[in-house]
Amino acid sequence: MDTYVLGLALSPPHAALRAQRTEELAFETVRAALRDAQVARTDIDHVTLATSDEMDGRSISSMLMAMPGGAYLKDELRVTDSGLTGLVMGTLRVASGRFHLGIAVSWSHTSQIDVDDLTRMRAEPFALRPIGLNGVIADGLYAGAVQHRLGLRERAVADRVAVRRQQAARNPRALQRGPAPDADADAPLAWPLRRGHLAPASDGCVAFVLASGAWLSRHPRHRPLARIAAVASAIDSYRLDGERLGGMALFDRTLDEVLQRSGRAADSAIDVLEIEAPTAWHDLAMEHHLAGRRIGALSPSGGVWAQNPLFCSGLVNAAEAVLQVAGRAGGVQIPGARYAVAHGGHGYAQQAHTFAAFEGAGA
Amino acid sequence: MTRSVAVIGTGQTGFRARWDSMTYVELAQRAAMQALADARMTPDDIDAVVFSMAPTHFMGVPDCDKWAVDFVGARGKPFLRVHTGGATGGSAFHAAWAHVASGQYRRVLVVGADRITETPDAQFVLNLIWDPLFEQDFALNTVTMTALATQRYMARHGVTEEQYARVVVRARANAMNNPNAHLKGRITVDDVMASKRVAWPYKLYDICPRSAGAAAVVIADEATAREVCTRPAFVTGIGAIADTVFQGDRCVPSADCDFADHAEIGIAARECFGQAGITDPASQVQVLEMYDPFSSFQFPELESMGFCARGTAARLSDEGVFDMDGRNAIGPSGGTLCTNPIGVTGLVRVADAALQVMGRAGAMQVRGVHNALATAAGGSTQFFTCTLLSDEPRRGADA
Repeated sequence: MDTYVLGLALSPPHAALRAQRTEELAFETVRAALRDAQVARTDIDHVTLATSDEMDGRSISSMLMAMPGGAYLKDELRVTDSGLTGLVMGTLRVASGRFHLGIAVSWSHTSQIDVDDLTRMRAEPFALRPIGLNGVIADGLYAGAVQHRLGLRERAVADRVAVRRQQAARNPRALQRGPAPDADADAPLAWPLRRGHLAPASDGCVAFVLASGAWLSRHPRHRPLARIAAVASAIDSYRLDGERLGGMALFDRTLDEVLQRSGRAADSAIDVLEIEAPTAWHDLAMEHHLAGRRIGALSPSGGVWAQNPLFCSGLVNAAEAVLQVAGRAGGVQIPGARYAVAHGGHGYAQQAHTFAAFEGAGA
Repeated sequence: MTRSVAVIGTGQTGFRARWDSMTYVELAQRAAMQALADARMTPDDIDAVVFSMAPTHFMGVPDCDKWAVDFVGARGKPFLRVHTGGATGGSAFHAAWAHVASGQYRRVLVVGADRITETPDAQFVLNLIWDPLFEQDFALNTVTMTALATQRYMARHGVTEEQYARVVVRARANAMNNPNAHLKGRITVDDVMASKRVAWPYKLYDICPRSAGAAAVVIADEATAREVCTRPAFVTGIGAIADTVFQGDRCVPSADCDFADHAEIGIAARECFGQAGITDPASQVQVLEMYDPFSSFQFPELESMGFCARGTAARLSDEGVFDMDGRNAIGPSGGTLCTNPIGVTGLVRVADAALQVMGRAGAMQVRGVHNALATAAGGSTQFFTCTLLSDEPRRGADA
């Protein structure tokens, strides 16, 4: 694709951001991304927001958030699935040839909401809501399914948490929580899921500045951080049956697709793959499904254990992937990373999988 | 290079106050299947799905789109939901357009549904769209908000309540030809004037209904469109704009866009028309399907988009310029004044405009349509979209 990442910014991660309104969080992050790209807001021709009304606590969140998101008198469009979906939408808009320089931004002021209540209300009202399904229970069902199907053991799950915490401790962009498990890590949530298996949520915002190849040709002084080699996404059935929960067929297929759209064979090497694994069960299950692929490093950033702004954790992964191919990943840099892929999921038990692949701009 | 994209199929369930015989997802499914049948396609022919849904607080299921995945044939495909308030349907269409124009996908389904009457008081929900610190306590909702803008416009241009009433009379009469319209009928200016006062200058008949129903559109690249459709409706221009939420900031001399004028839509329209090579919309655009949930929306927006000079739209309306057989047919379907399922209203506008270009609008058909414009508006009249549908691609324009 002839679409590039010209700049990006991640807000400093917070366990619970109280000093800023969500508007200020978005404004500061977008401003930092524009600065990183060395362009002004007046230069851009479109904005893509990725936000959730329910998480933002308003019926039309973009009414107040479009302006701090940089969209004053710009062509603005919003998606509501996840932050990484916003990057996909922004990429397609630039690839259309109609737009040339834009912002894709997403945030999650997670500490302001009751996530369990919110995800319970996402259930359809006839069967799932009456039985109390919510996000944690769906993740528990997922964990049970992959435990059964893949033979995952709880010891391995705990070990994976420890590994991710250690990686996160090296990530300069991580919320430093320390390597020790939380005091209530063994508390059961939804069998076999325990509190310590679930990455704690955090607050944060991510903003990208995207540019077309044509724009870059007209502005040779600007050097992109990465080329967006491909985007791919797919959604699975809403039904939480065994096939859907444990099969992960779309995870495999969509990763194949992003490689193919990148012009690479299915067995091509991926220098860095950042996966959105909300629990260590997800982490192990995805790793199992990646067996046989040539993955240089899997979530070297620490993934959601570094920071986990729920709605935009996939977009954080994209930022980490871009920083890898740009050689700007700091303490978690993988030497020689040239092709990095970011993953994100959304919906109950990751109903949808999204991938974005990045190449070093000189590749 | 931007690739040509065309509408090749549309579907609408018909709109009414309630659809108790079907669930939300069944409504979406019906519209999707209608649009696919209209495009001579099956779900397997579709590469990606865009879901059009505005606030879910009306119908009460935040993940209604994901619930609908199996029903609209999206399983295993790229799928995303677009939400820009009242402009949602227009924005969702633009998102789908980008899927095809980018060359990444060839055939995309845009579908959505809404059930505004699932909530006992939609305007209470619409109070919650405002900032909790500044405006929610001010009894502000979409009726009172737009009434304020209308008062400002009336004071400037001397427009009367009766002139707005004639807009309602025309819309209800046009809707008589639309089997999907929610409100329709032969009413008079006196009927409108005698309806219950809601927020000056609005009476009940100046305000759209709360509608339930679903709509869908299938779009495709030019090669597919010409293969499966004898007369596709080509997307020759898209434009959108976002302005500040704060109405007060749009009522000062330094404002870029005045609150009363809906001037933002002029920016979106100029962008849209520029892509299509439209230099004089009044003579080149035969049909407009406007997002006009209140009788007062048409005049300032027609002026802002360049269909007439500022302050003249009401007089031209009185003279019949915007009637079915006038210079520019405004809302042959009856428009949003007669049907407003918010999450898909903008998409219905696109579908009805496309049908005019395709020559398949039935009793609503206007003769000799080469260009039809669909608009949408949302938020505090801060989000606008314009979409131009044409009988052929406009190659060589500044696309």
